[in-house]
Amino acid sequence: MYGFDVQSRHPTPGSQTSLREANRARIVESLKRHGHLTQVELAGATGLSAATISNIVKELSAAGVVNTAGTSRSGRRAVEVTLARRQGLVAGLHISKRHMRVAISDVDRTVVAENHLPLASDHRHDREMDRAALLLGDMVDALDASVSDILVLGMALPHPVDPLTGMISTPGLMRGWDGVAMADSMSERIQLPVFVDTEANMGGLAELRSGAARGITSGVYVRVGNSIGGSLLINGSSYRGATGRAGEIGHVMIDPRGPLCACGNKGCLEVFAAGPALLELFRDDPGIHRLRDVLLRAEAGDSGATRALADAGRHIGAAAAIISTMFDPEMIVVGGELAEAGELLLAPLRHELERATIGTIAPTVVTGMLGDRAAVLGCLAAAIDNVAAEWKPQIR
Amino acid sequence: MTNRQFDGQSDTMAAQIRTEETPMQASPAALPLAPVVPLVSMSGISKNFGAVRALTGVDLEVYPGEVVALVGDNGAGKSTLVKILAGVFKPDAGSITFAGTPVSIGNPAEAHDLGIATVFQDLALCDNLDVVSNLWLGRELAVRGVLDHVEMETRSWALLRELSVRIPSVRARVATLSGGQRQTVAIARSLIGEPSVVILDEPTAALGVAAAAEVLNLIERLRERGLGVIVISHNITDVQAVSDRIVVLRLGRNNGHFRTDEVTNEIVISAITGASVYSR
Repeated sequence: MYGFDVQSRHPTPGSQTSLREANRARIVESLKRHGHLTQVELAGATGLSAATISNIVKELSAAGVVNTAGTSRSGRRAVEVTLARRQGLVAGLHISKRHMRVAISDVDRTVVAENHLPLASDHRHDREMDRAALLLGDMVDALDASVSDILVLGMALPHPVDPLTGMISTPGLMRGWDGVAMADSMSERIQLPVFVDTEANMGGLAELRSGAARGITSGVYVRVGNSIGGSLLINGSSYRGATGRAGEIGHVMIDPRGPLCACGNKGCLEVFAAGPALLELFRDDPGIHRLRDVLLRAEAGDSGATRALADAGRHIGAAAAIISTMFDPEMIVVGGELAEAGELLLAPLRHELERATIGTIAPTVVTGMLGDRAAVLGCLAAAIDNVAAEWKPQIR
Repeated sequence: MTNRQFDGQSDTMAAQIRTEETPMQASPAALPLAPVVPLVSMSGISKNFGAVRALTGVDLEVYPGEVVALVGDNGAGKSTLVKILAGVFKPDAGSITFAGTPVSIGNPAEAHDLGIATVFQDLALCDNLDVVSNLWLGRELAVRGVLDHVEMETRSWALLRELSVRIPSVRARVATLSGGQRQTVAIARSLIGEPSVVILDEPTAALGVAAAAEVLNLIERLRERGLGVIVISHNITDVQAVSDRIVVLRLGRNNGHFRTDEVTNEIVISAITGASVYSR
């Protein structure tokens, strides 16, 4: 999915081929960001020479990856390059605790536009959905398309949505988003079918289709950031359970006497290992305000930050062990912002997991391959899956 | 299952998953680090314009790699405060330290030399010039008295790429750019002199959603470069999205100082309007 297989994506480093691949990727990336550019502008945006651009554009055009058209800039003739896309677009919208990410792809899974913006920690449904709709409108405009060219929007939220009411199923977890039927409300704004799921399920789906969990028949995706979510990946799709709450590892109780959690229980994993808990430790440190700051500190070898991450890893390991014992997965994929800590988080996680899982072989624990983009890519994948479903009745 | 049983069971479970540490804690508080010196520290700043007391004993600190939002109603003194930092006004009282050293900022050139760059609300770009000329205006690179266009263009691209600014061509005239692109060009221009503190006055005012997103992302990248950023804004949502701390001014005085991640909209707004009174 997303148009590559591992082999051709990674030719021998340093070789001519790999250089050419990298240049090709740079051009495609620039086109995704800008929508359409002339060859001269591409040269500026990528830092490649005009001759290289011209050659690669010719090649990409022959392969049907880009379209070229004559145009003029400042009175001179120029060649305008756009990404070729198949008829029909789908959109993905990922709203997390501190970030919004919007992506548009064609039904062949080529991402043609992507954008993101930071969100307030205490955001509200009306404003953010309005903004998402406007952003989506701006993005399709840049593609010379309109919102009505989009077939389905896939939307990811940090917490499970009740399939019956369409509302966040545990009130209190996301202040400002309670009591709203998510899919309906978004659908009203953009006049499109909307498909909603948790960011963990969407992220898991993306890792399953095109990331670290490819070919896995039983896996767990754990998303650790400002909140903690999880997804059970069974036979190629995420298992949602009776009310969409399956796999919510963030609310597995790891200490019955622990502090109160926003969900109403006590001692949930999230209270110990999610962003706010980690940041609380650095409350008096003027240099640390975000998870990223903790990661940078840890990378620089700061013992306090390393310890905080290791403890978070241990706590996640304890909860993962419970799920692992119940469910016996082949692999646990850790994604989300905190996953960037790599082994600082994963090593203690593995240790705790091995200690507390039944039997001698614990599941493999790896970092997700898609990073921050996992959820939005999952939204696109889910949207494409739903396009087929939406289309059938119309075809008759 | 009775409560009694439930307790018993969960205790065993807790015992099972507890490792070296009992009872389970998030983790011990991190060790205090070597104190970080604020990049800029303004304390007790007062400024009168005739009978108008614009600022009375105002404090403001900015650390490296931190975004501080300065919020307040119209006439609260936000602009006056940053203009003092930018060297436009001289304070009547109070002191400013820069990286731990007391300084006096007499004029904008001195502020610039210290490494304080300001992007005012009107952006001060020349519409008839292209992006490169605007970026280097007044600081043009020259080789033997001749403008080094190649070097300026190369370095402009490098800077804009580094900031992931979406501008199709650096040779486009500024008049042809959108509001968001102008704002990003103005911010990029402030970085040409390698400042350590950047002041942004209402950077997202009058911008569409996509353009505002661009500017907010740009502010995040300034932060990642380790700059101290002061953002003046009326838009509480944007402020909460990008800032690390919020400093509220009301009628020329400090009225609240919050960590962004532990404050809600309502609290900030009540501090701005004076519905609640905070003293430092």
